[in-house]
Amino acid sequence: MIQARRVDFIAVPTKDRDRAERFYGETLGLERNPNSTDTWVEYEAGNVTLALVDPEQAGQPFAPLPFAAIVLRVDDVHEARAKLEEAGVEFLGNTFDSGVCNGASFTDPDGNGLMLHHRYAPYPDGSLP
Amino acid sequence: MIGVERVDYVRVPVTDIEEAKHFYGELLGLRLDPNSPHDDWVEYEAGNVTLAVMTPHTHDYEFEALPPATIALRVADVAAAKAKLEEAGLDVGELWDSGKCRGAGVSDPAGNRILLHHRYAPYPDGSSPR
Repeated sequence: MIQARRVDFIAVPTKDRDRAERFYGETLGLERNPNSTDTWVEYEAGNVTLALVDPEQAGQPFAPLPFAAIVLRVDDVHEARAKLEEAGVEFLGNTFDSGVCNGASFTDPDGNGLMLHHRYAPYPDGSLP
Repeated sequence: MIGVERVDYVRVPVTDIEEAKHFYGELLGLRLDPNSPHDDWVEYEAGNVTLAVMTPHTHDYEFEALPPATIALRVADVAAAKAKLEEAGLDVGELWDSGKCRGAGVSDPAGNRILLHHRYAPYPDGSSPR
């Protein structure tokens, strides 16, 4: 067994880094890591870093993140969805209520699967998110 | 601006939950979240973020692996981690060194390519990885 300590970053593939920067920085409002360089750009999503990578620049084929790969916590899914829809973001289906959480899935301009999420119910052991 | 607070989890699609549990729990040594809800949805704690290992085929959609090196998992020593995983019978990719960090890829049983990662150089502002 190896001792994995943490996730250093989640790679978000893009074909157009400028467009992706506008989306993650302006539309989603994430903070750009000041240590980003011209070839490696990172955004901070609270507990984990999202790295915008261009696989084709590295000679790899582009493939988007599958359905709802990165699940973003917001205070109010309905409100956040309305704001993103106003900004032209398209959602996949209706906002759901699973009985423990609300969620709404959408894609970024490259087709990467994302989800807005808010768990309102405690976990089985009684703790809260 | 929608007020993103954090990433609640990263969804890791797999095809066989038992094989995946062996890989993420036993081989990578991640802690199983006791609040994992279902047999086809198992959550592992990777330090700062939760990995939700789940089977798309029991959630009404088709499996599609994460693109290679989506998840960069920090280890103290990439060469040592590679050696341990190879000892356990896994096929680990060649170790590379970018001049700032080292990495090596390893696939989970469903074909998700995880990056074993260690940055040894400070960041441009002089700070070190947290």
